[in-house]
Amino acid sequence: MRTGITRHFLPWDRPLLPQAAAWLAAAWSGGGPLDLGATLVIVPTRQSGRRLREGLAELAAGRGQGVFPPQVVLAEELLAWPAGGSPVASRLEEQLAWIEVLRTVRLDEFREVFPVDPVERDFSWAARLARQMLRLQRTLAENSLRMGDVATVAGGDWPEAGRWRQLAALERDYDRALASRGRRDPGAAGRATRVDELRRRGVTRVVLLATPDPPASALRLLEPLTHDVTVEVVVFAPADAAALFDGWGRPLAEAWAGRPLLTGDERQHVQLCADPVEQAERVVAGVRRGGIPEGALAIGVADAEVTPVMERRLREAGVAVFNPEGRARRRGGFYHLLAALGALVREPDFAAVAAVARCPDFLRWLARRQAGAGLAVAETLAQLDALHARHLPATLEAAGALAGGFPAARALLDAVADLRSGLTAGAFPAGPARALHGLLADRHEDDDTVRADATAWSELRAEAAAAAPAFPELEPAAWWEITLALFGEETRAGPKPAGAVELLGWLELLWEDAPHLVVAGLNDGRVPEAVAGDAFLPEALRERLGLRTNAARFARDAYLLAAVAAARATTGRLDLLLGKVSAAGDPVRPSRLLLQCDDAELPARVQWLFRDVEAVRPGPPWRRAWPLTPATDAPIPGMSVTAFRDYLRCPFRFYLRHGLKMETVDPEKTELDEADFGTLLHGALEEVARDPALRACADAAVLRDALLGAFERVARRRFGRELTLPLIVQFESARQRLARAAEVLAEQRALGWVVEQVEWKFPANFAVAGLAIRGRIDRIERHAGTGRVRVIDFKTADKPVHPRDAHCRRARREEAAPALARFEWQGESLVWTDLQLPLYLEAVAAEFGADATAGYFNLPKAVGETAVWEWVDEAGEWRAAARRCAEAVAAAVAARTFWPPVELAPEHEAERFAGLFHRGTAASVDWRGVP
Amino acid sequence: MNPPGHVMILASAGSGKTYALTDRFVALLAAGAAPERIAALTFTRKAAGEFFDEILRKLARAAADDAAARRLAADVGAPAFTRGDFRRLLRAVTGSMHRLQLGTLDSFFGRIVRAFPLELGLGGDFELLEESAARRERRRVLRAMFGHAGGRPDAAQQDFIEAFKRATFGREEKRLGDTLDRFIDEFAEAYLEAPDAEAWGGAGRIWPAGAPWFEHAAPRARAAAAAALHAALPWAELNEKQRERWDRFFAELPAWSPGAELPKPVGYILGNALAEWPVVAEVRVERKKLALPPAASAALRRLAGGLVGAELVRRLEMTHGVFAVLRGYDRAYDRMVRRTGRLTFADVQRLLRPVALTGATPDEGALFLDWRLDARVEHWLLDEFQDTSFGQWKILRNLIDEAVQDATGARSFFYVGDVKQAIFTWREGDPRLFREIFDHYNAAAPGTIREQRLDRSWRSGPAVVEMVNRVLGGAQALQALLPEEVAARWNREWRPHESARPELGGFAGLGHADDETGRWAATRRVLEETQALGRGLSVAVLVQKNATAAALADFLRREGGFPAVAESDLHVGTDNPLAGALLALLRVAAHPGDAAAWAQVRMTPIARVLAAEGCDTRDALVQRVLGEVHTDGFELTLEAWVRRIEPMLAVDDAFSRLRARQLIEAARSFDETGSREVAEFAAFVARHTVREADTVGVVRVMTVHKAKGLGFDLVILPDLEGRSLTVRRRGLAMKRAADRSVEWVLDLPAEEFFGADPALRAYAEAAAAEAAYEKLCLLYVAMTRAKRAMYVVTEPAGTSSSRNYPRLLRDTLGESWSSGDPQWFKTVVAPAVPPVSPGEIPMLDHRTGSRAPRRPARAASTWGGPGRGQQLAQLFAPRSADGGPGLGRAVHALLAQVGWLAGRAEIPAWIAAWREQGAPEAAVGAAAACLQAPDLAEIWRPCDGELWRERAFELVLDGAWVSGVVDRVIVEREADGRARRATVFDFKTDALPDETEVAAAVARHAAQLLVYRRAVARLTGLGESAVKGELVFTRLARRVPAGGWGVTQTEVSDL
Ligand code: SF4
Repeated sequence: MRTGITRHFLPWDRPLLPQAAAWLAAAWSGGGPLDLGATLVIVPTRQSGRRLREGLAELAAGRGQGVFPPQVVLAEELLAWPAGGSPVASRLEEQLAWIEVLRTVRLDEFREVFPVDPVERDFSWAARLARQMLRLQRTLAENSLRMGDVATVAGGDWPEAGRWRQLAALERDYDRALASRGRRDPGAAGRATRVDELRRRGVTRVVLLATPDPPASALRLLEPLTHDVTVEVVVFAPADAAALFDGWGRPLAEAWAGRPLLTGDERQHVQLCADPVEQAERVVAGVRRGGIPEGALAIGVADAEVTPVMERRLREAGVAVFNPEGRARRRGGFYHLLAALGALVREPDFAAVAAVARCPDFLRWLARRQAGAGLAVAETLAQLDALHARHLPATLEAAGALAGGFPAARALLDAVADLRSGLTAGAFPAGPARALHGLLADRHEDDDTVRADATAWSELRAEAAAAAPAFPELEPAAWWEITLALFGEETRAGPKPAGAVELLGWLELLWEDAPHLVVAGLNDGRVPEAVAGDAFLPEALRERLGLRTNAARFARDAYLLAAVAAARATTGRLDLLLGKVSAAGDPVRPSRLLLQCDDAELPARVQWLFRDVEAVRPGPPWRRAWPLTPATDAPIPGMSVTAFRDYLRCPFRFYLRHGLKMETVDPEKTELDEADFGTLLHGALEEVARDPALRACADAAVLRDALLGAFERVARRRFGRELTLPLIVQFESARQRLARAAEVLAEQRALGWVVEQVEWKFPANFAVAGLAIRGRIDRIERHAGTGRVRVIDFKTADKPVHPRDAHCRRARREEAAPALARFEWQGESLVWTDLQLPLYLEAVAAEFGADATAGYFNLPKAVGETAVWEWVDEAGEWRAAARRCAEAVAAAVAARTFWPPVELAPEHEAERFAGLFHRGTAASVDWRGVP
Repeated sequence: MNPPGHVMILASAGSGKTYALTDRFVALLAAGAAPERIAALTFTRKAAGEFFDEILRKLARAAADDAAARRLAADVGAPAFTRGDFRRLLRAVTGSMHRLQLGTLDSFFGRIVRAFPLELGLGGDFELLEESAARRERRRVLRAMFGHAGGRPDAAQQDFIEAFKRATFGREEKRLGDTLDRFIDEFAEAYLEAPDAEAWGGAGRIWPAGAPWFEHAAPRARAAAAAALHAALPWAELNEKQRERWDRFFAELPAWSPGAELPKPVGYILGNALAEWPVVAEVRVERKKLALPPAASAALRRLAGGLVGAELVRRLEMTHGVFAVLRGYDRAYDRMVRRTGRLTFADVQRLLRPVALTGATPDEGALFLDWRLDARVEHWLLDEFQDTSFGQWKILRNLIDEAVQDATGARSFFYVGDVKQAIFTWREGDPRLFREIFDHYNAAAPGTIREQRLDRSWRSGPAVVEMVNRVLGGAQALQALLPEEVAARWNREWRPHESARPELGGFAGLGHADDETGRWAATRRVLEETQALGRGLSVAVLVQKNATAAALADFLRREGGFPAVAESDLHVGTDNPLAGALLALLRVAAHPGDAAAWAQVRMTPIARVLAAEGCDTRDALVQRVLGEVHTDGFELTLEAWVRRIEPMLAVDDAFSRLRARQLIEAARSFDETGSREVAEFAAFVARHTVREADTVGVVRVMTVHKAKGLGFDLVILPDLEGRSLTVRRRGLAMKRAADRSVEWVLDLPAEEFFGADPALRAYAEAAAAEAAYEKLCLLYVAMTRAKRAMYVVTEPAGTSSSRNYPRLLRDTLGESWSSGDPQWFKTVVAPAVPPVSPGEIPMLDHRTGSRAPRRPARAASTWGGPGRGQQLAQLFAPRSADGGPGLGRAVHALLAQVGWLAGRAEIPAWIAAWREQGAPEAAVGAAAACLQAPDLAEIWRPCDGELWRERAFELVLDGAWVSGVVDRVIVEREADGRARRATVFDFKTDALPDETEVAAAVARHAAQLLVYRRAVARLTGLGESAVKGELVFTRLARRVPAGGWGVTQTEVSDL
């Protein structure tokens, strides 16, 4: 039996914090500072420690004094104290040792642990399993156990003893792996030395303060101390409830299991809500009415899922909130910088480059590199995207090689390349450190969270530096992976904004002394937390090993609820909110704590707590936030031949595209689009057509070789040597089409068609209805026999198309095309959709005569359908009609008539206008221009 | 008590399935079963929740009321049970709530996998991927596959390219990404179902005895047959039209190549030739039979067979190609996703299928559940069994075998469902299992499982039931409309329904409208006429597609002013201009070259906000918004911008505000993924959907699929149009054997090619029959949702011959039909209870009575921690690479050990001691240097003052709470113990290259030092001017004094 331990009870009808402070200061005369330096106080959470120190400062301030505070620690921290002997392994070293063991042991000697071989025994498998092993060790450490103890402590007669013996053997391997590097596992460190540490710190008094759930191992550490120093246990409960707690102040499972909680009319305190949103809204509705003095209301959230909803709703209502739990570092910008750098180190592909390029720290650094020249951030990023869209580089290197036309992007790529060589130079932590140093040089950071992140990272880096010599074979990518994972997991809390409402976790509530406490998320599984099933430590084994069980958690939470309720029973108020469904809409159950009542009361409580509840939130009808008000004065000095198609399709979209220049960027582009594909084929055809040696060539095989050769050159120029998979596939398709095109070209030559002009540009003075029209004709051919001229346009769409079908279509029953596009043809109502070929003919008329003809050279995907399709228009009637339409369009553009738009179904909307219109184009826009 | 026995229940819609299940649960409890030993598994979490609530409420009612107790006691076969007994059961269930095995099949399987990761080849724990996460992973995998071709594709990539070419022959070969995406959507599950190369396009599997098609499939053979046919045709006997047919046939024939669409003239002759198959002695052309001379007959047979064969060869090849493509993708996916511990529900199931689960005894290689799941399941209750897939059953089978074969009879199996409601076969639901299992167990020992039927509807009134009976019990009409096997299968399980609630009366009617507009208008009229909402009735409008639900709900809100809710998935990030503009803002920030996005932003009031915020240039906007996204993530960034933009919205625009909030919520879940990529976020948002919450007092518009399991007072069915009932599901043909193993997979060609092939035709007919059966089920589910009234509105079936719903309704009900009282609603009175109002938490009145608020927490002092304002880069300074901030801490710790230093001679002893402690050499060196430096000697020189080392303090200064640690303080005291004066030394380990930096550091630390001096003054009772402060730069071995010892308060404050 323990000696030298005394229990004290602080009654729970008053707040804990002032009582605790006063109790600690009981012996203080008030003459000098309150000196508690020799006292070690163990508290349940960091936040409670913080509050205790504040409470003491407050108490001393009452007498114009200060405090030499006690040494405030969490029970878990006691276990992490240095323990003499060889140095304890860092988190990183523990992981690395496990990874090594898992990758090197013979799995068939551990068949009880690994009944089957993993599919691939790679680093990532080992890393994940290592984390699981570490978690397992930590859990066992709760009761000062190691894997090797389990088989003996658990006693005989249980099914998995063999498995645990093998785990123990694995753990010995792990210990050896550490030992060979002069380290040892923290759990293996001796207890006695920790006691020495206590003495070294000059502790003469130990207080376990309102900590209902300390790990058994910590208590075990305190036990031997009782001979030297006083050990006091302070329980927040009335003295007459002493029987409900053990000697260490832990609620006894048996005593709390059937104990009624929340007696009286629970309906006053318990609100069953539909979901987390409703819980938040109820709190917000109360807070919103105002008039609540600071410190009068505290909000607890027992279900972590409710916290973000609560935070957001309160912020929306203009209430500052503070979550002392903080956020995982993974959510912060510093982590993302590191992650982007890590990805760049792992694989310098273009996506990694694009991610780094968008880190503000990188951009600042880039600006410094270019000091003097000045960095146009927007232009640089735009060029990077443009480079990508044009050349689809797979890697940093490829991008660099293709960046000729994009000077700003090239500077950025050079910088990324330098950064990467910095990051990869030297061993793991040193190289990156140098690179980061360069990156962050002269950044003065006053934001505490960033500082804290940076400090945490550099600590981790120091750990890595210490571990690196012992694990020389680990790749830099693996180092990045492990350290980033460790870093991302840590949580950090920023400073609390003044006047902010704290959202307290369940375990913090005991120390909260606001008279009105609202606790949301009182659902089963959250409170009390319950664990069912486990790969290693199922409940039955936990019980045998003296680890925290569901029953113990239940007792702790029952006690917490009883205590926070009692502290407000007479002069305060406690409200408990719970949801019917989770944030994801899944049903959840009321906490079992709420059903702790007399049997007679149980049926009514069940009916009350398990009733149907539905939210009352019908959505408002759809409504337009605002109409778009585009500028109406964008200049359109002339237009290209192809733009006529756009106008005919929709005058308004024509304006958006050619006036306001609305073009989008697809940063996720991975392959050629229609236009790229066409350009490539055109490029090859052009090159061959320009070769004088081949002008008259009618040999399909020669032409094919020439075309394919030209294609390789064109493609290489634009896409370099390193191709992505889709490009390989697409090039394959292009080659097939060109091979077949060679045959058709040869046939055409045989028929007498000779190339006259390639990529012929419209005369500069060419205009329609006074509007300058630009254009370029793929090819002009002349017939060797007749001297007739024809213009040819290459078409590379998947399906072959006849020129007439491409230029007009039948009018629909409810035709929406602009009036100027419509015309009658032999009694039929038609609509112009394009004017390309007729305008070509207009353009060539001056130089090549008015009787030229036009056609398409189709290179469709079904290569059998490759052919020249001419548009026969003997009487020139089509041309005349087209000319009229072209004049009308040109006149309308000159008169700036872009309204009304044509209504298009969303699925027919071009990518560049995606997300622009909702429920009708005209309805989406407030057009102030010429109708 | 009696052993509970094994039971199968066929429960028609509304017949009290949940009632039966909960009774069973209670009966098992009453028979002494521990609650945690009963596994009750359903398909949805919602159903599981309702099931649990119902059990508790049932027990609670019986525990509270004698009459209820007697009734329940009788129902569950425990006649002696009293209120007290039920209260005991209630306590037992609530007490073990956390251990109950009551949930979905998926979660049950998930728990097993979690408990046996190593047994299943996983490394450690895993993460379950929801739909959107799975899609992200797919993008990641495809990106990786696309990215790394390098100079030349490796062998695997070359294979993949080849496979892709084969898979897409003659279709789409240009856009790899889109095509792959579609492939994966359509076929990935099929691949995983049958990852067996043999099955995919294996001719031997499809035609084990061979097929006649392939002999003449080669182009040359076909050409030869065509020539022979041309030569042998009796041209003289043909009339002009027939001749024309043949001419066109021969003209178009050469143009066709396999995989392409068959030209009409070729299809015409081929079809007619195949109609005569296998003896093509004659062929019908232009409505006349043409007898063929033997040579022509043989040639046509060769040609027709060859055409079919050529197409089939191509399809087989494409199927191989698809398989190889999927295999390539799946290998990459497996490596990058599954093996790194990210699994979908389907993956979880697949992991479990090959292993044996056992409850009681661990056999060789079997998973022993009881121990690791902390539970021994003795009783099995399976709900909605018609939706159970064969794969799921395979996992459960040996557990249930154990229960059924348990000799003591102490364990049991109970399953319930309705094969008439099997509308989830597309999700692998396998309604045939229902009967097969029954037959299987009963064949071994007759009577093992008892069959029960429930056909009395506790949901629907007589009028509704009458309509259901007429339409779905119309055996003859069904026979006439549907494939024989389907009608027979349906009619075999059909039992006329009966309303158990005649008092509901009600109404059911069929009406017509000409088109969709008319049907929607009719829906609105019903709602207006009946005033159902006002009467407190629940109302649902059931449709076939999600998009229809969203549009119709909006129509009802807009045109009818009804509070209608689309219980469909709303695309909240793309359906409104506010979200569109916010996304455009993000797009410009990340991709400033996106002129469209920039123009879009400038067309909205956001432009004014940007101007006010000073970021109306792209440069400013990039730096601002990209910085925010980087630092805070999308949620907080959007939240901040919404706050700024909100004043631009109309005051009463609740809709846009709601959408803004929903977008922020979407951003929150996206932030969980850890990505900061705007394009990825935009893609996520485009797919992100939100369901409007279940609410009372609204018109609920939803798909029939979602309505399953629900009941409403009034149901309107305005969307029963559509295609024929016998259209087979699109996608790959997948033929399964009786044991559900996949026999073969084939990209089935058009019907004109396989009509004459018995194997393929049989497959297609069976698939069409399955589809027809499911369509009937869908109608049944739709028609059995109504409690009081049902209005069916369709377009007139007219003379159309399509075998669709309107036709079935006409054939069973006639042109128009109704039953019950058209004015049924008049007798319904609005319930007296007011609708639940959203609650609010009553706030304490702090002026009266209650306890005083606690003193507000003090703001922590803002002088910050050490190093604030220091260059961030210093943390990464190369020189500190050996120790970083750890070095600083170590130096502090070593110096804190030093009390007084009597002389330099003592220094080596300190160094030795520190080394002994294992302190880093760098720290030892730095600390030793401090001891040795002549400039610092005064710090260590013994004096009679009191010495504080690394001493923590807490106090309140100027209303702020200050905590800190002073490194070293010397307090000189008078003889009476009162302090005379004090000196604070603060050690700084900064690396300072030059004087400017020193000056900067001094300025930086001034505020901190001042606070320390004031703190020491408070703690010693001295005036502040009696406390001197000194910064000690350890690396420079230099001290910089700062005020004190006579310096006045004002001077100090100026610091
Ligand atoms: S297409 Fe050719 S010229 Fe243009 S940027 Fe690329 S490599 Fe340079």
